[in-house]
Amino acid sequence: MGLMLISGYATSSHATATPSCKTHAPLIFGILPFISAEQLVDRFTPFAQYLHKYLQVPVRIETAPNFMAFAKRTREQQRYDILFTAPHLFPQASKAGYRLIAGVDSPGMRAIFVAPKKSNIHTLADLKGKRLASVQPMSLANLMIKKHLSNHGLKPDIDVTLVITPTHDASLLSSYLGVTDASSLMRPPYEAASQTLRDSMRIIAETETAPHIPISVSPRVSTNCKDEITALLLKMDTIAEGKAVLKHNRFAGFKHADVKDYQRVRDHLLK
Amino acid sequence: MQKSIPLLHSLRFRLIASVVTIEIIMLSILVWNNISIIHTTHTDRLRDTASSILQQIANTSGRHMVAVDYATLEEYLSNTLNYNELAYIVITDRDDRTVISLGDAPANNIKIDTHPKQVKDGMFDVSEDITVADQFMGRVWMGFSLSIMHDAIHKSRNRGITIALIEIILTIIVTVFIGLGLTRRLALLSSAAAQVEAGNYSVSIPTEKNDEISQTATAFNRMVSEVDNQTQQLKKAEAKSSKLLNENRQLIHTSLEVQEQERKHLARELHDEMGQCLTAIQADAELIRDSSHGNSRIQTSAEAIINVSSRVYDVVHSMMHRLRPSILDNLGLVEAIKEELDAFKNRNPDIQCECKCAANLNNLDERTSINLYRIMQECLTNISKHATATEVCIELNSTDNTILLRVSDNGSGFDVDTPAHGLGLIGMRERVSSLDGSLLLQTEPHKGLTISIHVPLHANSQIYK
Repeated sequence: MGLMLISGYATSSHATATPSCKTHAPLIFGILPFISAEQLVDRFTPFAQYLHKYLQVPVRIETAPNFMAFAKRTREQQRYDILFTAPHLFPQASKAGYRLIAGVDSPGMRAIFVAPKKSNIHTLADLKGKRLASVQPMSLANLMIKKHLSNHGLKPDIDVTLVITPTHDASLLSSYLGVTDASSLMRPPYEAASQTLRDSMRIIAETETAPHIPISVSPRVSTNCKDEITALLLKMDTIAEGKAVLKHNRFAGFKHADVKDYQRVRDHLLK
Repeated sequence: MQKSIPLLHSLRFRLIASVVTIEIIMLSILVWNNISIIHTTHTDRLRDTASSILQQIANTSGRHMVAVDYATLEEYLSNTLNYNELAYIVITDRDDRTVISLGDAPANNIKIDTHPKQVKDGMFDVSEDITVADQFMGRVWMGFSLSIMHDAIHKSRNRGITIALIEIILTIIVTVFIGLGLTRRLALLSSAAAQVEAGNYSVSIPTEKNDEISQTATAFNRMVSEVDNQTQQLKKAEAKSSKLLNENRQLIHTSLEVQEQERKHLARELHDEMGQCLTAIQADAELIRDSSHGNSRIQTSAEAIINVSSRVYDVVHSMMHRLRPSILDNLGLVEAIKEELDAFKNRNPDIQCECKCAANLNNLDERTSINLYRIMQECLTNISKHATATEVCIELNSTDNTILLRVSDNGSGFDVDTPAHGLGLIGMRERVSSLDGSLLLQTEPHKGLTISIHVPLHANSQIYK
């Protein structure tokens, strides 16, 4: 019965599509460049097409050359109508007027420290004096591992040399190929890596949990459009097509989120 | 004397012209082909280069388009624009708005070309979608100037034409030299052949080089030498043969004269000796018959003697006539001909005979008379034996210094080209030859025969006017 109702909602939403978002056509779907542009487009295109289908307005994926540029465009230009950013960056977007509509339904995100099994690195303490691959400085992973190192008595860039790589995959590969002694990255990209690669690595530490990705809309998006998007996201895991999209993105679904959670993360990491 | 050869027929000219023409045609084809290949190579190269650069930019631009990182993309494209032939690069976004424009981009409406060969405005315009994960992110437009390619093609073409011209000139020079060398020696051969044609067998061509013409010249020299030897031998043989022929002819003439003299002598002997004896026998027999006084046996015997002697006389007379008709010596050729023709009529009553003989030709010299008479006799004998004629005409007359004897019939005639007409004709020719005259046969199968004999009037002959 529930499924029928949800299905009916989706169908009626599609069939009697309100022009709520049409005034914003095309809707710019801004995604934090946490992976390469090619991977990003490949991963989020079904999501954008799903939104396009049910909002009846073109949804255009955009990103930025790096986290700094993405945050700046978000903060100063409110460039992205729908914002998919890092948890610790959302408070700034919120200050710029972005309204939180949902968060990825997940227990949270963790960053991990990995080292080749053939190396002598087994604990965080073993990283002292070693080179540790990391991702962009403003990324959640970067901040989390720095915080974690500090909490364990290792000063980043003093006790451990951080080597910045453009993506999580690049960070993982750098120690696998011997460019660095160890790598740090978020757990999901690690689990998406090949089995062979993972078999040759060992996880030596894991950070504490941070809330998952928040979804927000820009101040210029109308309330009706915002509500429509919110409803579409929250019910996404109840529609077969939505489930397929979520699976492609390796998300379980979307849920209501609280701005305070993200502010707390930011405060904690940047403290 | 050698004839001058027209220029177009000259072997020298034709050889040189042929080689040069072939060379020009082949080199023109070669140059044309090379130019075509060069043009195709350059245009294909430009097409491939454009395609490669375009693909590279399209692939590279994707991430920048997604990230809206036009500054980085423009910096990258600026470096690409350093490529010589690349005139402009334009990047348009998903809304077809120009986000980057570098170089001399056209103001509007870029017309895309598929191949540099189709370009008419001097700019090879190409375009490619920028996609990321199969999603359209914009479009790259590029223009490649054809001027550099055209310059390269022109340089290659000019170089090819220059090389071809040099080769043609060298070919002409070499061909002219070789042609002159060859044809000069051919001219020597031609000149020598002309001298041989004129009878100069002492000519010899130099054969110092070991090539085909020298071999030909050697063969020519051997041939001329052989021809010279053969000619000399032929001349000797001809002289010998001529001498023998003259001697033979002289012998025949002498033989004929001796024969006639002997016949004449024999006829006279028969007349003088046998005639007298027979006349005496006949007179004695008549005396015995008349003196028999009725003795029938004596009368019968006497009559028999008279008859036998009379028959012997007739036989002797006939023999005398055949040996030497007395009428020829007594009354002349014309009368002898008439008498012979009468006798012929008697023997051949079905043949109508006509004699057109000038009456003033009875006093010809003996040699002329007897030979013309014998020829006339031979003609009549032949007509009687072979011609199956119904009409015969004998003409004898004279011009200023020539006597003409013509014997014609309307018989079967013969083909003059058919050899072996018997000895009669040969005898006639010899008799005419002995008189320094000429004999002409006019005949065709079934159209009769006319034999015309012209002999010069001998000094001893007399013609009454």
